[in-house]
Amino acid sequence: MGTTILVAILFTGVIALLLGIIIGVVSKLFSVPSDPRVELVLGLLPGANCGGCGKAGCADFAKAVVAGECPPNKCPVSSSEQVSSIARALGIEAGSEFRQKAVVLCGGDVNQMKMLTLYNGVSDCVSASMIGGGPKSCAYGCLGMGSCARSCPFGAIEMINNLAVVHAELCVGCGACVKTCPRNLIKLVPADSEVHIYCSSPVKAPLKRQVCNVPCIGCRKCMKSGEEGQFEVDGFKIKVAYDHQPLPGAEVVDAASCPTGCLLTEKQHLAIERAEKPVVEEEVAS
Amino acid sequence: MEGNTNYLEITIGAVLVYNFVLSRFMGVCPFLGVSKRLDTALGMGGAVIFVMAIASFATSLVYQYLTTEIEFLGHHLNLVFLKITLFILIIAALVQIVEVILQKLSPPLYKALGIYLPLITTNCAVMGAASINAQEGRGILAATLFGTFSGIGFALALLIFAGLRERLELSQIPRPFQGMAIALITAGILAMAFLGFSGIC
Amino acid sequence: MSERVIPPKPLSFPGGIHPAKDGKGLTEHKAVEKAPLLEDYVVLVSQNVGAPPKVTVKKGDAVKKGDILAEAGGFVSAALHSPTSGVITDIGEAPGPMGVNVPAIFIKADGLDEWSDKLPAGLNWREASADELKSRIASSGIVGMGGAAFPTHVKLSPPPDKKIDCVILNGAECEPYLTADHRLMVETPERVLAGAAIMGKILGVENIAIGVELNKPDAIAALEARAQEYGVKIVGLKVQYPQGSEKQLIYAITGRCVPTGGLPMDAGCVVQNVATAAAIYDAVAEGHPLIERVVTITGDIVVNPGNYLVRIGTPVIKLVEWASGVKSEPRKLILGGPMMGFAQKSYNVPVSKNTSGVLLLGGAEIIQYESSSCIRCGMCVRGCPMHLSPGPLSMLIENEKFDLAGQNHVMDCLECGACAYACPAHRPLVQHMRRAKAEIRRAGKK
Repeated sequence: MGTTILVAILFTGVIALLLGIIIGVVSKLFSVPSDPRVELVLGLLPGANCGGCGKAGCADFAKAVVAGECPPNKCPVSSSEQVSSIARALGIEAGSEFRQKAVVLCGGDVNQMKMLTLYNGVSDCVSASMIGGGPKSCAYGCLGMGSCARSCPFGAIEMINNLAVVHAELCVGCGACVKTCPRNLIKLVPADSEVHIYCSSPVKAPLKRQVCNVPCIGCRKCMKSGEEGQFEVDGFKIKVAYDHQPLPGAEVVDAASCPTGCLLTEKQHLAIERAEKPVVEEEVAS
Repeated sequence: MEGNTNYLEITIGAVLVYNFVLSRFMGVCPFLGVSKRLDTALGMGGAVIFVMAIASFATSLVYQYLTTEIEFLGHHLNLVFLKITLFILIIAALVQIVEVILQKLSPPLYKALGIYLPLITTNCAVMGAASINAQEGRGILAATLFGTFSGIGFALALLIFAGLRERLELSQIPRPFQGMAIALITAGILAMAFLGFSGIC
Repeated sequence: MSERVIPPKPLSFPGGIHPAKDGKGLTEHKAVEKAPLLEDYVVLVSQNVGAPPKVTVKKGDAVKKGDILAEAGGFVSAALHSPTSGVITDIGEAPGPMGVNVPAIFIKADGLDEWSDKLPAGLNWREASADELKSRIASSGIVGMGGAAFPTHVKLSPPPDKKIDCVILNGAECEPYLTADHRLMVETPERVLAGAAIMGKILGVENIAIGVELNKPDAIAALEARAQEYGVKIVGLKVQYPQGSEKQLIYAITGRCVPTGGLPMDAGCVVQNVATAAAIYDAVAEGHPLIERVVTITGDIVVNPGNYLVRIGTPVIKLVEWASGVKSEPRKLILGGPMMGFAQKSYNVPVSKNTSGVLLLGGAEIIQYESSSCIRCGMCVRGCPMHLSPGPLSMLIENEKFDLAGQNHVMDCLECGACAYACPAHRPLVQHMRRAKAEIRRAGKK
């Protein structure tokens, strides 16, 4: 009995040793030079394959980082700790710190805009925008069918009252929604910005007033109450100068008292949309 | 042992009647995991055929030796009880070696099969094929044939299922059934369909 | 021109539908009326496929009727001419037929309606050279008036490796409700025939045919009466939608197939609308650029539906006024026909070169359906004139698998609407196809 156990152990051990040696020899003989650092970087990346870095996925990005083609901070999803750990592992510079987030620059929910036409087609913004510019009255506003929300790999966009609202704490700034929006309403802005002008319509103020209750009419009140250079004129509307430091804070919104209510902090914007009555049945005037 | 082995029975039986996934319910994990797209299913199917064939060949070789009685230091020993341990060892090592060699010699084939090979290393279908061969006491040729055609059977089931799942993905499915739920139901119906082959051999 | 001289059945194409209500009876016996002169015109700058023309006038300029407002912005582009004499009041934006605001030129008419003295003299087309004729067509801003608005001179300049051996004129007018082309053929067949002969001369082609659906016997008779002297053949076609689509028309008349992704020239054909032919005749024989066209204003709720010869740039609201308004509140305003036309948000959309009809639908003509899941009945497959499978394609597109949709030839879709008309589940199939085509084109550009 004892011998059987001994022999079994010996037998298995010898075979295992043999196979191990064979594998060792074979992998030496047939070794393909590969960079272990790629695996290392890949392990440190979030692995969401969102494509926010502009590469085909995390593996592709890892290769590019190891090859020195792009700095590790190009990954918009990784936190600064993750980026610096990648940089430390490779012994390279992390690149300058710049985090972004998306914001939908439109405040035109169903309560603020008119529904001009009866639309019962495909519930998708890209499809709707190709049919007479969609049902909402403003030809530049959010179509409210949630294409961006569906494209977001992180579930950071919520549709409230037919308006897309980005939850900044969930957004990593990968830009998938920016590419999806047929109206180009979504912009990537610095992550620490909190005040936005929720309007993207380039038309003249009276025309905007006809179609929307909360347009930017270009009155420049915000420019006067904010610091020099915090806002800039962009055609018939004002926009926040996101590359200017310091960015406007909540006190600017209070001081400006925007007459249409399109200058808001993110928190205010979300609170307004949340407070408004959800639309039960859309009453459509033909 | 052999002599009157019916090779036709082994092959057709392995593909259709005793299909590894749909009748023996082995290898269900990769069957569900890699059947989302037809092209990956094709790659996985190819890899399984390949691995099952060489694994069956190698294990039957070893098994031939195991079944003979060994005399060791004056003791007569029967080491058949070691077969599962040894099979695992051999299959894992074999797949590892093949993967390394493939990577060097045939990069395109490695690209097609490479990511699936480690998945199969400890797949129960491969183990099962070796085990069944040992149980039935098949010779080397019969065992290799059985391994190959079991792999083909697996690939067939995988391809059919991948085709179904590509269609499933386009259909509007009630929420509770979405995803894996409807996949499992479909797999069950597919298995029932394969029941129709029973009795051929 | 084909071997099938005496067809056993009316010439047609496989697939297609026949809408139960064609609405043509409302206007087909009403003669074309000349629209009165307006005070204000809104000429959209981009009225053609291809490069938008470059505006050459500025605010405050005085223009005469037929003066150039914008020059062609490239080879695939067409010039724009003033519809009347007056003053440019503004160059800004106006609602366009696609629902978004587009650049437009605003003209205040002076009421004199004087022709410009810069216009070229009329040519005798039988004597003029092909190049002369072609440059005249190009400078007159003529585009495909059936709906596509493709610059005509481009179609008439095939690359040298493509051999064109027949010219086909589309007089099918398969869209329900529209009768503008019908009335044009009945009232001025000689303009259509001469235009066809001019195109034949430019391309050096003897085979010239006009395809007309058999529900327009008076148009066929009017054309037949004078077809001989122009060397044009009149072909009666089965009443089937979309008979007027160029690929279907080529198949029905010649039996040739346009290869997938190809153009009619790949089948040796050039297809033009009859209205385009009439415009070509005007440009050549009179020297008049394209500034007016026949537009059908129709719909059950329109008090006095009819056909009007209107200037390009006339706001649609004026047409509704001329037709004595509506009996009840319209629920849909469509530019073009009900199958392929575009629903509008505003009555201020002006008539463009390709506006063949203005359709006001209301009451029982509009039924709003809820779309449901595909029931795999195959009605869309039977209806599709391009042999596609719209149902499975729409499911691919719903799941955003545009690459697979592309592999299944979604790019061949004509957007004719036959599938959506036939679908008992009321699925918005055409909208899905449009989305896929747009996405594939966008992906191709990257």
